[in-house]
Order: sequence, then structure tokens, then C-alpha cells
Amino acid sequence: MNCTRYERWMWDALEGRLGESQAQALQAHLRQCPRCQRQWESAQATYHALHALPRLRAPEQLMHQVRARIQHAPARPPLFGGWKRVALAPALGLLIVLGYWAFTVRTPDATQTIVQEPSESWVEMHEQLEVADWSPTPTANYFITTGYSR
Amino acid sequence: MVSDTVSYDGRLVIVDALSAEARLIERAQAHDEAAFEQIMNLYADRLYNYILRMVGSPTDAEDLLQEVFLRAYQGLPNFDGRASLSTWLYRIATNLCIDHQRKRARRVQTVSYSAWEDEEGEGGAWEFPDLQTPNPMEAALNHELQQVVEHAVASLSPKLKTVLLLYDVEELSYEEIARVLNIPIGTVKSRLNHARGQVQKHVEAYLRGDSK
Repeated sequence: MNCTRYERWMWDALEGRLGESQAQALQAHLRQCPRCQRQWESAQATYHALHALPRLRAPEQLMHQVRARIQHAPARPPLFGGWKRVALAPALGLLIVLGYWAFTVRTPDATQTIVQEPSESWVEMHEQLEVADWSPTPTANYFITTGYSR
Repeated sequence: MVSDTVSYDGRLVIVDALSAEARLIERAQAHDEAAFEQIMNLYADRLYNYILRMVGSPTDAEDLLQEVFLRAYQGLPNFDGRASLSTWLYRIATNLCIDHQRKRARRVQTVSYSAWEDEEGEGGAWEFPDLQTPNPMEAALNHELQQVVEHAVASLSPKLKTVLLLYDVEELSYEEIARVLNIPIGTVKSRLNHARGQVQKHVEAYLRGDSK
């Protein structure tokens, strides 16, 4: 027996969403399955209890308090109302133009940066060598590869 | 068609509820306080019940309901009518309840139980005032079973509780709940199944006599 399928149908049946043939199949199953019969009873009890939970009235003094707070609260103006709505379109247009300009004109050429980097690093290395003078006796190979001279 | 009855010049006039709500919103947006008061009267009880079951404390529920209406009043000029007014109000209420629960969770971690008990009054976080005017169906139902269900709902996680309360108690549709919570309809259905399953387990245990 496929009890899982019938369990899924139970809430649909309670809400009146189950088709006639399915409803009949569920009834037939419930007659022969004590476990599903118990499930059906608990589903019915849960459904009816949920739909009959007490409905309370909001306390009357609460509404007075809300009224008092509203009278003292400044009404928030619409975000894009009145003149702001008129100004929004040109402002957006300007923003797009500025963004395009910043992206295309102001961005440095990426290939240039790559070319410049090695020469800059060579200069830095020479300066550091000069300051540190860490090698009292540099080898001949060093002078050939770096072109460094005192 | 959904219709509503309103009194106008001493006569009863049947009007379409949706267009009546639209007119009410327009008036409230133009800072007509009487119109906003009508909105409050229409939704106060529904929102109060929802918030009360979400947070469990009548004092907190009152504070949060005040905040919902204050935010609605201030936000109405920006309300564009894409969602219905009830969806919008439930969304504000849900966000405030979830914020409140987060703050309370942090507070409970740092404040001792006795201090919390003092603040909550008698310490009954899930206490509800007695129903003043029970309808026949409610009267017929077993009071104990209702308590079991109230406790089971209160013990749900905020995600599951929100969907269960909005669907089974507040009777919003799947689509409306999806809009309130900004989640797909499939997620609404899945959370609802989980929530109902958990509540049903409590009821089953009660019916078997495992718990009171």
C-alpha cells in the first residue's frame, strides 16, 4: 500500500481540492489501513482546530495610541514624487554618460601598464642595490646582466 | 465578484471592494486621516491576531501593531498599488515580527530567565486572553485541543509559522503569501506542508494520550 500518497491527499481532501476519483480512492484506503485512519483523524482535528483558533479584537486604546502617534509623525514624502521625478531622467542620463567616460577615457591602457612594469621594477632594484650596497664584491656576471655600473 | 457594503448618505450602496479600497488608498495617500483610520479599522484585528501569534506576547503585539500602522502611514505615499493593501500590510508586519524575534533571541541569550520573566509579566509567553465572543464551532471544539494546537504553532520556526498562520489562520492564498514573503509559490506549499506536519504530530500525540 502506498500510504505516503494518501497522506499527501488528506489535506487536499480537507480543503476540498481533491478530485472525485481521488476522494473515493482515499476513502477506500482509509477503510483498510488503520494507520492512515489515525493520520486522517489527526489531520481533521488539526485542520479544524487551526481554522477555529480564537480571533481577538485589537485593544481599543491601541487605536487611540496609533492615532496620537500618527498626528505627531511627519508624513514621509514620496521618494520620486513631484520635481524629483522630472529631474530623475536627466540625472540618470548624466550618470550613464559619466560612467561611460570614466570607463573608456580614464582607464589607463592595460598593455602599457604591463610594458612599463618591468622597467620600473629594474629602476627600483638598482636604487635598492645602491642604498643597501649589500654585495661588497659583485660578480662579473651581475654587471653584465643588469648593466649596473658605479 | 468580491463586494462590500458601505453606508453612504443614509443609503446602503453595494460597491466593488477592490475599487473601494483603491479610492481609500488614494485618499489616505493625500493625507486624509479619516481614510487612514478606515484602513486601520479594516485591518487592525486581522493584523493583531497575526502578530500576537507570531510573537506570543500581547504587550509586544500591541507595540508592533502600532509600528505597522505608523510605517504604513509614512510609507503610503510610496505605495504603488502593485500588491494589494493587505499583502503590503502583512509584509510590513512580517518583517517587524521577524526583526523582533531576532532581537529577542539576542536578548534571551544575555538576560537571565528571571529578568525576562519580570519583563513579560507573568512569564507566560504564549498566553492569550480569553475569547470574548466564541462562535458555535469554536465552542464545540475541545479547548484542550486548541491549546495543543496553539502551543504547536508557537513552537514552529518563524519561517514555517509565518506561512501556516497566513494560510490556515489568516486565509491568504498561496499567491498572496508568495508576494508577502517574496518567495516562490512552490516554497510556500513546501513550508506549509512541513508546518502542518509538525502541528499534526503534536495533535496525534495528544489524541493518543501521549501528552496533554
